[in-house]
Amino acid sequence: MRNECDVVIDYFNDQLNEDEKKAFEAHLENCKDCQEELEELRLLTGDLPFAAEPVDPPEGMKERVLTSVFSESTEESDDEAPVTKPAETPVVPMSKQTASKSKRNSWVMRGLAAALLLSLAGNIYALVNEQDIAEQPEDPEEVTPPEEDEGTDQVAERVQLQGESSASATAAMINRDNGGILTLQAEQLEQLDGEEVYQVWLLEGETPHRAGSFISNENGDGAVAYSMEGLPEGIDWDAVAITKEPDANSETPQGNILLSAEL
Amino acid sequence: MRNRDLELYLQMADGNKQSLEAIYDKYEKLLYSFVIKLSGDQTLAEEALQEVFIKLWTKKAVYDESKGKFSSWIVTITRYTAIDLIRKNKKSAVSIEEETDLPEQSDQTTEDLVEWKEQGETIRTAMNQLSIEQKEMVDLFYFKGLSQREIAEQCDIPLGTVKGRIRLALKHLKKNLSTGKGGVYDA
Ligand SMILES: [Zn+2]
Repeated sequence: MRNECDVVIDYFNDQLNEDEKKAFEAHLENCKDCQEELEELRLLTGDLPFAAEPVDPPEGMKERVLTSVFSESTEESDDEAPVTKPAETPVVPMSKQTASKSKRNSWVMRGLAAALLLSLAGNIYALVNEQDIAEQPEDPEEVTPPEEDEGTDQVAERVQLQGESSASATAAMINRDNGGILTLQAEQLEQLDGEEVYQVWLLEGETPHRAGSFISNENGDGAVAYSMEGLPEGIDWDAVAITKEPDANSETPQGNILLSAEL
Repeated sequence: MRNRDLELYLQMADGNKQSLEAIYDKYEKLLYSFVIKLSGDQTLAEEALQEVFIKLWTKKAVYDESKGKFSSWIVTITRYTAIDLIRKNKKSAVSIEEETDLPEQSDQTTEDLVEWKEQGETIRTAMNQLSIEQKEMVDLFYFKGLSQREIAEQCDIPLGTVKGRIRLALKHLKKNLSTGKGGVYDA
């Protein structure tokens, strides 16, 4: 049998086939030596790209590259149906179904119950894609303004997170075949102390899943991009929430929900 | 201090072309020069950059902060992309001939990549302080991206010793760096 620890080098150089890679990654989960070795390789090679002598790219390369990059995306969106929500669900108040679950009184439901109040007060809105917004401008002030740029058809959902403080955040979920990405930008957050972090959670019913953490800067701004590759696939997420956690290692929320929005 | 790279990346992920362009402008020269260093091939370098930015734009490669600094991440993606192309093209050897074919090296660097200019010399000096064998290890492992078996064959050493030699060479290099001008860590 192959000793998995022997393939670290080949893993680092992406020389393994899919099966070997999976086998090694499974091994890596539990092998401290390999984790340390990989980290060490990353650290030791981190400066090496700078060893390259500066070379001027050829004339016109930027135009050629960007043209082909952007044409790639048009081809893709022609082939793939844009990931959008049905137009009849533009603004989503809490569903009765979710509200009734709050009797169970888990931390999540307390948070969602609070969100419900905010929602009824009209402070929470979940919003979807730009076309819907454009077609349904009944409440222009509450809707995230559409961005002028193109290519937003990949944004499956964009929501504005709110809470009791003046802090606010925007989250966008961008669907991709390989699990997608959750991006979140927050402002007017309270300052953190010591090891504290803001932790983002995706909620599946009452179950919180870690979805990235970040720290805020002195202006109270913070942002995170989280690859959803590691999360279970095919889940229809119910909500996104932010809590303040003592450090970046909380497996379940220790703090109250500061900001949240339904998805 | 705001993280400008992350901000640009998030906007780009959200479909903003200007942000992708800004990332491109910032990293074009470093990535291009890096692939030239890996492959010695201008056509391949352009092809590699194109693939890297397609991966970014179509999110076949997704960045998040658990992957470390954006600059390190994009360099890593570029390295894998280039090595993959080199493998496909079987053009891995940088011959003298190809080297003389290279465009003239320039000494201006973009403002954002000042550290490159500062560190480049230090790193090259540290590389040159390695023994020939160690330099070759670093080269075959990192810049050529060969497998352990290929390295063992090229250097005519037992397969089981490859990993240890690579680590030793890299550690040596790091030591040369820290005793050199120092401060090359925070790129
Ligand atoms: Zn191991």
